[in-house]
Amino acid sequence: MRGWRSLLPIIVFTALYAAVSLSVTNSYYQLVMTLVPVWAIFGLSWNLLSGYTGLISFGHAAFFGLGAYAVVLGQIHFDLSPWIMIPIAAILGGIAGLLIGFPTFRLQGHYFALAMLAYPLAILYVFEWLGLQEVTLPIKRDNPIAYMQFADHRLYTLLALAMMLATILLTRAIERSRFGMALLAIKQNEAAAEGAGINTLAWKLRAVTLSGAIAGAVGGFYAVVLLVVTPQSVFGMLVSAQALTVAMFGGVGTVWGPVIGSVILIPLAETLNAEAGSRFPGIQGVIYGLAIICVILLAPEGLFWKVRDFLRKRSASPAAKTSSGPDIPAAAVPSAPAPSRSERFPGTGDVVLEVRNLSRSFGGLKAVQDVSFKLRRNEILGIIGPNGAGKTTLFNLLNGFLRPGTGEILLDGREMSGRKPHELCEAGIGRTFQIMRPFLRMSISDNVVVGAYVRAKTDAEARRLATEAIARVGLSEIADRIAGELTTKELRLMELARALAGQPRILLLDETLAGLGHDEANEVVAVIQRLARDGMTIAIIEHTMQAMVRLVDSFLVLDHGAVIVEGEPEAVTRDSRVIEAYLGKKWMAHAPH
Amino acid sequence: MGEANMSKTSLTRRTVLSGAAAMGLSTMARAQQPAEVKVGLIVPLSGIYTRPGQVMRMGAEMGIEHINAQGGIKSLGGAKLKLIVIDCGDTTEKAKNAAQRMVAQEPDLVAATGSYLSSFTLAVTEVTERAELPMLTLSYSDLLTERGFKFIFQTAAPASRQSELGLPELMKLAEAASGKRPKTVAMLMDNTATSVATAKALKEKIFAQEGLRLVVEEVWTPLLSDATPLIQKVRSARPDLLLFMPNAISDAKLGLEKINEFGLGQGKIPTVSFSITIAEPDMLQSVSTEAVQGIMTVVANWGSKGHEALIAELKAKYKEPWMTQNVISTYGDMWLMKAALEQAGKADRLAVAQAFRTMDGGPSKHYPGGQLKFDEKGRRVGAGVVIAQWQSGVPVTVYPSDLALAAPFWPKKS
Repeated sequence: MRGWRSLLPIIVFTALYAAVSLSVTNSYYQLVMTLVPVWAIFGLSWNLLSGYTGLISFGHAAFFGLGAYAVVLGQIHFDLSPWIMIPIAAILGGIAGLLIGFPTFRLQGHYFALAMLAYPLAILYVFEWLGLQEVTLPIKRDNPIAYMQFADHRLYTLLALAMMLATILLTRAIERSRFGMALLAIKQNEAAAEGAGINTLAWKLRAVTLSGAIAGAVGGFYAVVLLVVTPQSVFGMLVSAQALTVAMFGGVGTVWGPVIGSVILIPLAETLNAEAGSRFPGIQGVIYGLAIICVILLAPEGLFWKVRDFLRKRSASPAAKTSSGPDIPAAAVPSAPAPSRSERFPGTGDVVLEVRNLSRSFGGLKAVQDVSFKLRRNEILGIIGPNGAGKTTLFNLLNGFLRPGTGEILLDGREMSGRKPHELCEAGIGRTFQIMRPFLRMSISDNVVVGAYVRAKTDAEARRLATEAIARVGLSEIADRIAGELTTKELRLMELARALAGQPRILLLDETLAGLGHDEANEVVAVIQRLARDGMTIAIIEHTMQAMVRLVDSFLVLDHGAVIVEGEPEAVTRDSRVIEAYLGKKWMAHAPH
Repeated sequence: MGEANMSKTSLTRRTVLSGAAAMGLSTMARAQQPAEVKVGLIVPLSGIYTRPGQVMRMGAEMGIEHINAQGGIKSLGGAKLKLIVIDCGDTTEKAKNAAQRMVAQEPDLVAATGSYLSSFTLAVTEVTERAELPMLTLSYSDLLTERGFKFIFQTAAPASRQSELGLPELMKLAEAASGKRPKTVAMLMDNTATSVATAKALKEKIFAQEGLRLVVEEVWTPLLSDATPLIQKVRSARPDLLLFMPNAISDAKLGLEKINEFGLGQGKIPTVSFSITIAEPDMLQSVSTEAVQGIMTVVANWGSKGHEALIAELKAKYKEPWMTQNVISTYGDMWLMKAALEQAGKADRLAVAQAFRTMDGGPSKHYPGGQLKFDEKGRRVGAGVVIAQWQSGVPVTVYPSDLALAAPFWPKKS
């Protein structure tokens, strides 16, 4: 139901656009009306990869241009109609996406963007070298319709609109599925996504293939509208920039963004070209550039998000007065004093995780050396040590971010060292991160559902797992709030819920209490204790000693990458080596006796 | 979410509607004015090809002025011609968009001319053909009239024909002046449609026919950033003849500067071009008179014998030192349009196109050789070439002899 209702604006928009285009008889304005959906589709294609994954592509012209040339050359050399060639262009674009994506996804951030930039520029010179400086679609006088050559230019607009509608529906279907969630997770934190059980390379390749296919198809259609194809007009820097411009202007990571950007910018650019360009050649570029700069400064994420935030704020402010705000979840969680660990029976179960002689070096630095320990079912293990002791590195080895140098990690007796993070996640190791990376635009439920896909077969099952996980951390009442509005404590609990949604058997918690006040920390500790009581096995890195002493069943103390002490909290906090390495002499005076 | 979407929709809806309203007005505002007949000039008036576009505009304006002063279109009751100028920019895409704008915004154009560079004309005519607007052109590329188009009329000899006509004449001239025929040739060209067409004809046929061996062949995409590597290759190969084929003025300047810097100028390696670029007045702004002395170019048209009054008027009115193909051909195009309108007897593009197709206007006054008559491809029947040579700072017509304003000389190796 919700899906259909939200489709309404899209259908209304498309219908209105079609109605307006039918009333335009001037062929030049009709061309502009055709180009709006064309660039919107190209923007949507870019958005599918870059908007959702955050991997900025400066090279979408590569797919676009291949599509355009495929259509023109197909008709020139094989007399194949664009009706046939546009789907073929889509296939070619998809293949190009896969071929380009596979090596390029090894890179991240700016390196990825720069590498992508190179593809269309390289292809541009190849096409010039091939002598394809200027190719034109031959006129078909006998059977124009069969070759997509319409005397009535309105048909081009309608065709472009149909393609745009299809692309929007496809994008929305993706946005709401496991696919979209995976891409968003990659955008927020690729490492965390891997950690949440998402095979990031596979999803990225799927995204670039689909994105390339859409770009190829629309490039092919563009050639039909443009009549004349030159390397610059389809592989040029400005083509790739066009995709970025319409998407960033309108809003990144939403289907509306490229559409809004295109509807405003394309007619603006054409009008400036036509009206101002003939009087002051070049002025169109200046005005166009200034308009884009202003919007980027005022609405860095695009118009769509600016307007949405504005409307949300307006509708939210009266509502906020009626509710008592962020205190609600706290009431749902039993607050301090936390129940003592004697209420359960820890450390007596089977060994679920065993680490034997684990080592890892970075150059000359031995970050983890010869670490061995056992984690029993239902146990809470506290891992402490001074900064740089190798705590987080140990976690990274355990959940697959790093490959161990030597040593073994046995999960239920099975050797798991060197597996990929998403495989370890599937095997039942969940983790949270020291630095939180929530998906700020998404609600708590959507944030958590990302973590559920590793277990869930269907979207519905994922939703159910997410709901359960949210309930376990006590955030049910505010599950629909967007993450950007949450407090640090709520975010920590949400991260915990995301890890829980994957139904792990072992939870690795990396400084979950960091940045929390005393009372807040107690609330989170209470949640963790309840998890342990319900049978979860937990390893936790923490600095806050007070809370840790009451929380954990045993301590593992690391210094310079090696275990210096292992044992019960009382014994460990009295150990002189621990005091010296980590706690300092003052601890003796303040330690609870 | 739904609310946000709705408001966004209404915003765009409003934008689109107001745009639509504007479109409606713009089409209504154009009513028929029987006393005027509109003809188009679609040429580059911005970007790197601005200069040739401006010069073409001078030719068109002079033509219109003369025609109107002599009583306009007689068969239309003395209707005056009105020139509509459209900037086609400096890229193929811009040219194509400008053409789209031209046919949409100026529905009562009866004919047009343009667009300087063959690449632009190719793109523009893709649009004018579909709009059934007859288009005259001084562009060279053979491709223009090989697409089976019915609304393009090429007044210049196509590139392949120009090299066929021009190179043998140059060879004769070289033999007569220096006593021996050139044996080796170097070819430096840009990759625009004109150069590509010329080179194709030269390589496939004419070099062999004239016993020339191609020792250096280099192609660049305008604009050149540095001509050193190109000229270096020429220097080490030492050909008897250098064919230098730029189409952007800055490329021509850069190349000639380098040729002189390397001590290859002033006849050490006789240099020949196949476009008007190298004989544009702009060349003298950065290259000395001595540096260009003797350089020849095979072109489709040039200010020649019989155009003296026109050349004088051009000098007086626009301060142009001489008359290039761009002026004389575009001037001639206006008279050609007038002739077609007289024949058609109505200001209608289909009738004018038909008049071009069936016209038999006898010997041509403003184009070299042949007649005012087009074959089924749209090529002017019997179109010839002109060879212009830089002599004391002015490129003058030296061939054919009936049009020549001076005698040719072959640069001698010093």
